[in-house]
Amino acid sequence: MATHDTPASERLNAQVMRLLSGVSAHGDQHLAEVERDLVQMDVLLDEAIKKLCASFMAIHHAVDRQQEALDALLVDGMPSTESMARFEALRGEIQQHVGAAVTGLQFQDMTSQLIGRMVQHLAGLRDVFGALDTNGSVLPESNNEALLETLGDISDRVGACCIVRAGGVRSTVNQRHMDSGDIELF
Amino acid sequence: MMKTILAVDDSGSLRQMLSFSLKAAGYGVIEAVDGQDGLNKAKLQTVDLVLTDQNMPGMDGLALIKALRALKNYKDVPILMLTTESGDDMKAMGRAAGANGWLVKPFDPARLTEVVKKLIG
Repeated sequence: MATHDTPASERLNAQVMRLLSGVSAHGDQHLAEVERDLVQMDVLLDEAIKKLCASFMAIHHAVDRQQEALDALLVDGMPSTESMARFEALRGEIQQHVGAAVTGLQFQDMTSQLIGRMVQHLAGLRDVFGALDTNGSVLPESNNEALLETLGDISDRVGACCIVRAGGVRSTVNQRHMDSGDIELF
Repeated sequence: MMKTILAVDDSGSLRQMLSFSLKAAGYGVIEAVDGQDGLNKAKLQTVDLVLTDQNMPGMDGLALIKALRALKNYKDVPILMLTTESGDDMKAMGRAAGANGWLVKPFDPARLTEVVKKLIG
């Protein structure tokens, strides 16, 4: 730890290094989270679209068969036990496919959560860069003590804005497949 | 008499899908957009079951459960968490707050109604 007994040039070096490593660490942290969320979002969207397409086609085919059964019924007149059972089976099948589509649609909510997280991380990055701003003041040219103080203030601001942001970021979404989630009753 | 479920989630599409699935199974559904809205609606009418998300702006799911459990009418009402959070730590916190179960999103309508039926008939 640099003290006032240490030469000013060494303290200046240490302060510059502290500032640069702070910006690097916090910037890297935010960007790594954004990168991770983008990859996750890509997986979720890909799976969601596949699932929704499959559900849509399955519902379409089931409704087609239901219509065929209905047409046959209109020709035959009174419904037979067999056709009633067929209708019941088709109704169950359609419900099942609609249920699968409902599961698939929920991935929009998860991607929306990931987008929200990315926006927070990008805002965090903006704060870090904003903290580097010296508000137009000119860095002292020959007064190392004043320069040290200015750099120290900037480092503190970078550190502070990262602490503030870290508290507000929501948890990430870890699901990587389209099956419905676990259910646990306590 | 129709059983009523309070569905609390800040996502409009999620609330819509919960409502669709539960109404199809014969339940009445009251929707709330966040924990505070859920608490306000729960005070206006005692519901038979509460289904809540965890991550919401303002009052989150855990805070809602704690607030509900502090109300006389909600000491024994089943409360389920429906969330993307699947960590054991969060589940333990949910349990400690008074949740009766933990459902990880995405939910399957058939499995959801099965659980609801098990709890409130």
